[in-house]
Amino acid sequence: MDLTAFAEEIGSAGPVTIAGLGTRGGAVPGIRAVRAPAGIVTVQPEEMIVRCGAGTPVAELDAALAAVGQRVALPPRGTVGGILSAGRSGPRRLGDGPVRDTLLQARYVSAEGRPITAGGPTVKNVSGFDLCRLLVGSWGTLGFLGEVILRTRPRPACSAWYSGRADPFALLERLYRPVSVLWDGTTTWVCLEGHPDDVAAQAGLTGLAGVDAPPALPGGGRESLPPSALATLTGEFVAEVGVGVVHRPGPVPARPAPPRVAELHRRLKHEFDPTERLNPGVDPLTRAAAGGD
Amino acid sequence: MTALPSLTMVAAALVDELRGALGAPHVRVGATELGLYRRDASNMRGDAAVVCFPTSTADVQACVTAAHRHRVPFVARGSGTGLAGGAVPVDGAVVIVTTKMDRVLSVDPATRIAWVEPGVLNLDLSRQVVQYGLHYAPDPSSQQACSVGGNLATNAGGPHCLAYGVTSTHILAAEVVLADGTVALLGGEDPEPLGLDLRGAFVGGEGMLGVATRIAVRLLPNPPAVSTLLLDFASVDDGAATVSAIIAAGIVPAALEMMDALITRAVEQYVHAGFPTDAAAILLVEVDGLPAAVAEAAARVQEIGRAHRARGVRIARDEAERALLWKGRKTAFGAVARIKPNYYLHDTVVPRARLVEVLQQVYAIAAAHDLAVMNVFHAGDGNLHPLLLFDEHEPGVVERVHAAGEEIVRASVAAGGVLSGEHGIGLEKRDLMPLMFGPDDLDHQARLRRAFDPDGLANPGKVLPTGSGCRDVQELREVPEGVWI
Amino acid sequence: MRLDVLDDDLATCVGCGLCLPHCPTYRVTGEESASPRGRIAAMRAVHWDGAAPTGEFVEFMDACVQCRGCETACPSGVPYGRLMEGTRQALAAERRISPWWQRLALRTLGHHRAVLAGSSMLAVAQRARLVPRRLGLPRLAVRRPQLRATGDDVWLFTGCVMDAWQRDVHVAAVDVLTATGAGVALPGGGAACCGSLHVHAGLTGDARRLATRVIAAFPGDRPVLVDSAGCGAAMKDYGHLLGTDEARAFAARVHDVHEWLAERIDLLPQPLRHLGPVIVQDPCHLRHVQRAHLPVRTVLGAVADVVELDDDGLCCGAGGAYSTLHPDLAGAIRDRKLAAITRAERLTGATVVASANPGCALHLAATGVRVRHPLELVASALPGGRPR
Repeated sequence: MDLTAFAEEIGSAGPVTIAGLGTRGGAVPGIRAVRAPAGIVTVQPEEMIVRCGAGTPVAELDAALAAVGQRVALPPRGTVGGILSAGRSGPRRLGDGPVRDTLLQARYVSAEGRPITAGGPTVKNVSGFDLCRLLVGSWGTLGFLGEVILRTRPRPACSAWYSGRADPFALLERLYRPVSVLWDGTTTWVCLEGHPDDVAAQAGLTGLAGVDAPPALPGGGRESLPPSALATLTGEFVAEVGVGVVHRPGPVPARPAPPRVAELHRRLKHEFDPTERLNPGVDPLTRAAAGGD
Repeated sequence: MTALPSLTMVAAALVDELRGALGAPHVRVGATELGLYRRDASNMRGDAAVVCFPTSTADVQACVTAAHRHRVPFVARGSGTGLAGGAVPVDGAVVIVTTKMDRVLSVDPATRIAWVEPGVLNLDLSRQVVQYGLHYAPDPSSQQACSVGGNLATNAGGPHCLAYGVTSTHILAAEVVLADGTVALLGGEDPEPLGLDLRGAFVGGEGMLGVATRIAVRLLPNPPAVSTLLLDFASVDDGAATVSAIIAAGIVPAALEMMDALITRAVEQYVHAGFPTDAAAILLVEVDGLPAAVAEAAARVQEIGRAHRARGVRIARDEAERALLWKGRKTAFGAVARIKPNYYLHDTVVPRARLVEVLQQVYAIAAAHDLAVMNVFHAGDGNLHPLLLFDEHEPGVVERVHAAGEEIVRASVAAGGVLSGEHGIGLEKRDLMPLMFGPDDLDHQARLRRAFDPDGLANPGKVLPTGSGCRDVQELREVPEGVWI
Repeated sequence: MRLDVLDDDLATCVGCGLCLPHCPTYRVTGEESASPRGRIAAMRAVHWDGAAPTGEFVEFMDACVQCRGCETACPSGVPYGRLMEGTRQALAAERRISPWWQRLALRTLGHHRAVLAGSSMLAVAQRARLVPRRLGLPRLAVRRPQLRATGDDVWLFTGCVMDAWQRDVHVAAVDVLTATGAGVALPGGGAACCGSLHVHAGLTGDARRLATRVIAAFPGDRPVLVDSAGCGAAMKDYGHLLGTDEARAFAARVHDVHEWLAERIDLLPQPLRHLGPVIVQDPCHLRHVQRAHLPVRTVLGAVADVVELDDDGLCCGAGGAYSTLHPDLAGAIRDRKLAAITRAERLTGATVVASANPGCALHLAATGVRVRHPLELVASALPGGRPR
């Protein structure tokens, strides 16, 4: 995939924003918007990687990988680039790991309008600093993702949700690496995956009944708490047990940034986008509390 | 340049300041002792001005603050088992040794999070949590000796990273002393710490972004079932094809290791693990997880192996046999050392599909330089570890070893691979970075470094080739020749 | 300065650092200077690069316990013990280590009557509270039990300090050996001291003289059994120390008593009682030097449930005279061992530690840990055995 056209479109001066499917707040209004290249470049099941444009809808990626018995650990809605820019994992994070561990190589366009490559095409790679992880969750403020290589995983033979009234913390202790444990204060949902016999045996340990789907997650606000803090939650919520993400129906209070962390953000922005032209006005530090994926 | 005070004057004032902060016994300047901190497990060298043994975050802060005030470079060092020269001091540097900070501060078996000091040894950590049925997953071959702080700095790997991910996957947070002596908490126990993933950017920073003083790691439950298989092949190609076929079949083994004929024979003579000495290649495959999945995966691995002409498949019957097979793998370097007095261990990654082709090139390169080579590596993630064997007393051999090493790295990158899978860049591969990255790419890495360390004092001269836009300390003070060997 | 080491030996270390966690002094200090890798680097600087053997250098060399735990951990097979002995020999020759009072004390060990008399005097002094407790000495016996030969199938080496302070162990060894049907012969006065402490101190000449006397005291070709791991290790190395065929032939006759018994464990009479869980502490010179720690488990396993420590056989800090010469380091090293013992006690309910080396036993017992020689435990469980 040629990033030249994308880089030229971004240019080297003037405010510019990047648009996807609008799933996570969309582009900055009122300024010139660009779209990242879309489309799958290669699916390499034997390497457990996929290369695609950042503008590719994740649903399209998922369909292509399903054909080879694999999947990516990204939440289901929006574009690949949008998901990575937001850096928020879905409710399967307990088993799948966070979104940030999925990105192996990023080709992005800098504030100077130049194509940059970070990371490498292999699952294991410690060649230089980890710019990929810096980009995940940067909300397009350090560069615009053009093309990415993602790590894929085998699709499990069996995947099932169970629900009922059970202590989610005890379940987390008892089960071997469940994919998800959700809890709303009274009801617990568990997702188990793997060999059908193992899933059945583990399900037997839960005492829960099979259900079709997990609960709808409230989209008003999103809290990030140490997993140890979930037991004492009050109010209306769905919590990702073992992870610490809490979905709330209403807005949640903003967290203050510690001064040294805020200073590092300022310096990073200054280094990567000194004229503050990329997604102007967007601050990763204040994006945390907004609800949704 | 002339405006700067001389090294000796700076050093004297600096040492006084360090002694005041840490106490004289924890600040060393003896010539014999300084000599011991010239190198890590690589063969590159530099000369430190002073060696400090902090015992707390405040101590580390004092070391860095003093270095910063005097504009003297500093380098943090754990066990010194790195192979890329990452802990080799730039001349005149303050070496900050974290080995005395070796406490496991807390273990929460419910959330499976432990806080540790950087000097805790990797294997000690797993041993200390075994009572909870937990372990720390990344297991570099040096795991008995290497420290968690060093693992963090190099984003270390190990055989079991195939299924469980490298160090960065397992680090939740780090309290770090930044290059100006201030302290920041990067990441957190919560899943979505505020703002950018500074933790992720810091891990693998090779000590150039600051010094980690407290680290939160994720612990994993020990798998209920494990199966370890040994497959042997009459050709390296069949072994490598089996690796690709296993992954393509949707199996992600916990570990998938390959050893070639020479090393298999050497190991067998040393360990007597029952490795077939006439095999061209052997595969050590470990699958773990829940019992049904493990049984099915083990059966599939056998089938795939036989379909690729595996001559024999041995399944470890018990923990003792499993331990013996792993001992054979993990002491491979020992066996090698008994054949030739010196070895140079390389570390590159190639796409699995190109394993055979690159291995053939490795053999050809070694032959062209008249060197013996052995291969023992993490085949599952294409992470090659060619070992070049030599005797340093042989005239000219070191040059041949380095030339061959560079060719191997070039061949790996040309095949779509990367410079390093788990050892890091350090000094060793710094000047090979342009093989993988263009000037703009390197400039962006330098920007990350600059944001964390605008003065370029934290472990300068590593990772980034000179001229990649980093105002490192060598612009402040001439670096004597001979530092970068 | 040239050290008495071989260039090839010195060249073997590749600096990988895998020895570090197996070195007791590195474990408690975290300092390269207290590690095998660091000491070798310092030796190289002196031997190859012309660095001065400064006080700093001497201090680093002197702080080594010589447990040789690094040797079993070393993938490159570095002969560390030889390097350290050669370094100390060179330093001792220039009088940079082992001052006169140490040499004098060590020389006394070769005079067995003096050792016995001195020990008795010390015992009396203890009872008169004239011996400071901080010296960490065990409570010594004023009179020692009689040790009687029971035949002439095997020799039992009796040694110097051990015979004075722990003759009970020799009595137990004779009991157990005799119970398997072997007659035990005892040497004459010549076998007073094996010389291992002298080798450690770099006093190779003294060590050679003692070794020659020991060899002469065990004529014939009967096996020479040793119930002290440190002495056994030294005697097995006589071939290297003296470099003669006679010494090599003698060294081949030396066995740790457990090695010999393990092969004849079926001959041991059915024990009268089972002792329950017993923690095994491996003396370094049994595990790392003789590599004969497994037979202890075979022998002890006949009367007890063997409990392993979780510290990979890390040294306890005794190290011959080390605990006396470096009490602070030795104490810190011992604290780690005690922590491992405590963990094992909690896990298994064991209340006694078996150690096959007198130095380790004394060093650990000084903290109140109940330590017995494995053969004392075995003897106590056999018919006619007394509780020990």
